[in-house]
Amino acid sequence: MHIVVAIKQVPDTTNVRINPETGTLIREGVPAIINPYDVHAIELAVQLKEKYGGKVTVVTMGPPKAAEALSECVEQGADRCVLITDRKFAAADTLATSYVVWRAIDVIQQEEPVDLFIFGMQAIDGDTAQVGPGVATRLGIPLISYAVKVESIDPASHTALIHRKTEQGTEVLQTSLPALLTVLKEIAPERRAPLPYFIHSLEYKPEVWTSEAPYSFDVTQIGIKGSPTIVGKAFTPPPKEAGDVVKIADKGLSGTVSYALERIGHAGVVDFLADEGKGGK
Amino acid sequence: MSENVKRIWTFIEQEDGIAHPVSWELLGAVQKLSAELEGSVVEAVLLGHNVASIAEEAYHYGAKRVYLIDDPVLEHYRNHPYGTGISKLVEKYKPEIFLVGATILGRDLAGTIATQVKTGLTADCTELAIDPDKKILAATRPTFGGNLMATILCQKQRPQMATVRPRVLPMPEPLPVAEGEIVREELGLKESDVAVKLVGFIPSKEQLLIEYADVIVAGGRGVGGPDGYKVLQALADELGGVVGASRPAIDAGWLPREHQVGQTGKTVRPKLYIAAGISGAVQHRVGMNGSDFILAINTDPNASIFQIADLAIVGDLFQVIPELTAQVKSIKAKRGIKEVNGGSDV
Amino acid sequence: MSKKLTYDAIVVGGGPAGIAAAITMVKGGLKVIVIERGRFAGAKNFFGGVMYTHAFRDVLPDFWDRKPPFERPVTEQGYWMMSPDSVVRIMHKSQKYQKQPADSYVALRAKVDPWFAQQAVDIGVSLITKTVVNGFIKDEKGRVIGVTTDRPEGDIYAPVVIIAEGVNNLLTQKLGLIQHDLHPHYVALSVKEHISLPTKELEARFNISGSNEGVAIDIFGDATVGLPGLAYLYSDKGGVSIGVGLLLSEFANHNIKPYEVLARFKEHPVIKPLLLGGESLEYGAHLIPESGYDHMPALYTDGVMIAGDAAGMVDALHREGTNLAMTAGKFAGETAIEATNKQDFSAAFLKAYRKKLEDTFVLKDLKQYRYMTDFLDTTPQLMDTYMNLLNDAALRYFTAHGMPKRDMENEIFGMVRQRRSLIGVAQDMMKLLRGMRG
Repeated sequence: MHIVVAIKQVPDTTNVRINPETGTLIREGVPAIINPYDVHAIELAVQLKEKYGGKVTVVTMGPPKAAEALSECVEQGADRCVLITDRKFAAADTLATSYVVWRAIDVIQQEEPVDLFIFGMQAIDGDTAQVGPGVATRLGIPLISYAVKVESIDPASHTALIHRKTEQGTEVLQTSLPALLTVLKEIAPERRAPLPYFIHSLEYKPEVWTSEAPYSFDVTQIGIKGSPTIVGKAFTPPPKEAGDVVKIADKGLSGTVSYALERIGHAGVVDFLADEGKGGK
Repeated sequence: MSENVKRIWTFIEQEDGIAHPVSWELLGAVQKLSAELEGSVVEAVLLGHNVASIAEEAYHYGAKRVYLIDDPVLEHYRNHPYGTGISKLVEKYKPEIFLVGATILGRDLAGTIATQVKTGLTADCTELAIDPDKKILAATRPTFGGNLMATILCQKQRPQMATVRPRVLPMPEPLPVAEGEIVREELGLKESDVAVKLVGFIPSKEQLLIEYADVIVAGGRGVGGPDGYKVLQALADELGGVVGASRPAIDAGWLPREHQVGQTGKTVRPKLYIAAGISGAVQHRVGMNGSDFILAINTDPNASIFQIADLAIVGDLFQVIPELTAQVKSIKAKRGIKEVNGGSDV
Repeated sequence: MSKKLTYDAIVVGGGPAGIAAAITMVKGGLKVIVIERGRFAGAKNFFGGVMYTHAFRDVLPDFWDRKPPFERPVTEQGYWMMSPDSVVRIMHKSQKYQKQPADSYVALRAKVDPWFAQQAVDIGVSLITKTVVNGFIKDEKGRVIGVTTDRPEGDIYAPVVIIAEGVNNLLTQKLGLIQHDLHPHYVALSVKEHISLPTKELEARFNISGSNEGVAIDIFGDATVGLPGLAYLYSDKGGVSIGVGLLLSEFANHNIKPYEVLARFKEHPVIKPLLLGGESLEYGAHLIPESGYDHMPALYTDGVMIAGDAAGMVDALHREGTNLAMTAGKFAGETAIEATNKQDFSAAFLKAYRKKLEDTFVLKDLKQYRYMTDFLDTTPQLMDTYMNLLNDAALRYFTAHGMPKRDMENEIFGMVRQRRSLIGVAQDMMKLLRGMRG
């Protein structure tokens, strides 16, 4: 099997700070990590490779620093890594991003046909979940998002059984391959990767592709030019007014709770607690 | 209609012939947008099999026209036929704006359509408006885990697409009398053209739908373990609500993922949100700060959740919650109230 | 993957000792792997202190051309002896410190360790991170021939293993090279803060002119609440590293909390103005071995050598540790090369490692100051009585204007007699002599 995984290096959003005056991201001191969903995508790919044999190719579009993320993928078990990096691709929205990623994947699949594409469900900086569907559309292959399990792959009929999570339950879908999955974390729990992969990562250097070779582009579809959306303005969310704080020590447990129910009644958010005929105390 | 008409489309999501409420929430917002956009009309898109009756409902929420593709291939949602059908409609009728609910289905579908018709898509918006100068859609959404809000514009490409999560926009009142027209189109695909088959379905054990609860009693790390949630459930039962949880509790396995409120869980807009033992990290807050009344209970007087709470109690949830339950029981007894139905309407 | 991972030498730990050993061995033609448990080499330390260039030069003669990321050269250094409200300072500043490279530098190992490890990687050392060595592979005779790690398929083979695992020497204990775990009496806890200061303020307050000057101050007395220990203040590039270390047993015996000692120190009337307007960047603590010569583990066994903090190689009196570690690492590396040439990795051969240490400052100094910890422990008045005495005597001396100087001298003499007695002083002198001379 040849599996291609696309990843993104993102700032660790749990540690992100915003400059309150300029409304921009403070990037210094914020560690860059592999998008957490993508870590599980890699994990799934490597486990499928171990089960069915084959290889895992990882691609990422990003600044030169994203090469670090690719090294970590090799530590997890990826075989080949490609960094797509060029100033011309920068400031891309999801449409332009899916275009560039597709051009790179197109070259890779022509060298070696791909059976399965795996993307993380969404990136924790943008949270749009749009690039996976975008690439699947451009490749003209089936898309299964919210994938939570690869039940089986049948190389003979070139099909796979995939579990997809919905609000009501789990769909069991049969799809032809190649297909593109966007995955949730439960698809493959993170494990301590075997040591030989780490040793391999010491030698391995990711390939770096710029906007020159080995693929061709329609320049109107990359970077800013290829992005229909722009950010009109960015701002920190206005803080909500804090309400009052009551300590149990002050009113006692019973008194505090009565007060809380009074306030809830006042606000009219629970019908039977509304003001007329209070009772309770 | 003149050629310059600006069609504002809403995708009506349906399952088994029942419309998803987010579709009506979107139509409600669209009515307001339409008022600010000269020359615009409110229309809707509906796909499925034997679903024409839903169009009637759509008129009551303001749609003047419903584009309908009714085909057995569309009986259950699948990305390929739905994406193909809608893209066809978009290419033919060239809407100005196209909104989709950011449900699991919507998020699967929207990116596909936007890429097929080569337009801009803004996901998970919390606010939609018409930019007064440019007369285009201004879609505001959280980024970087909710730390930064961004207003996105799609200047040239059409339609301007956006998705909005359920319960972010208010549910409008349906019009008592309404009329509209249906325009039927053909799908143009056969079952054999579709590579993905639905071969099975495993229903969730719980029918939670926390997004639609009017009252949520949520617990975080402070609850300490799965058993602690029994206390919260007792209060939720008395109030006719459901139990929720913040991400650390879900990650620790104390409750199934359906209960998760927050950035990577569900966005909720209940009338009453009780946050017990939740510190209030920004990723949790963005999932519930639209609640009408927030009561927070925490032993830490500096918990960030207090900043957005209408009322904050510094105390032990294992004392406060049972007391709340007891007093609510007592009030109900005094007022002769027996059953309290949950707020879910799906 | 059934191929056995085999190297000529394994080094456990990517700190100064481990990297020094690795560089030495790879230069001698050995195939070396360093296994570091942190995310990167240097992730697991919190050192803001002084490093000595002689040790770098010994391991990497061209180290200066490789641009080590030190903070500031130490161009003024000395001691501050504090009483609760005053200080007697003995500082030394000299033009002779101003050479490039300088004799010693204030350094943050969070920057230096990764740089040092990169030098090793650049010349061919394999460095794996995020991996913990958790045991040993032994042959039928019980000799160590490899290590096991916490990753699947994680066994690595080599005829010689150099343990440079740091102060928490679990592997050293596992091999039985020391009979017990860390004893609170033989390890210190150092609590430290990195505080940033605007350059102008930093330079004005510490009398530094430009980035090529820096100060290193060791502080005794009130700073350590009158207990045996060491406080310190070093000038970083953009601020200071300030900290206090006490023996772990002292925290327990006197029921004091580490962060309280540092907080109190920062409030001292002499210290507080130096930190005004500073922003706390980082705060943490680390253990420092204080075992001394007599409580070190055995330094070698069949197939194994131990270097650095894992072996207790710290001379706190002279604030030396990283240079002992690097020098020991180098000696371990040299011994490994010799053993490889002879194909003899037995304890009998590796004894040569210990001999190299004995012939140089590493074991010579540890041996000379072997009684120091016990001396400090049994002479509490050193930090307490004498520091206060010194400060009070200085005050008396410098304010004796308009009084007969003989009276002033008698008063000072009286203070000594009263607080310690002449006999006491004599006894302390004798013990000090023994503690200093070994």
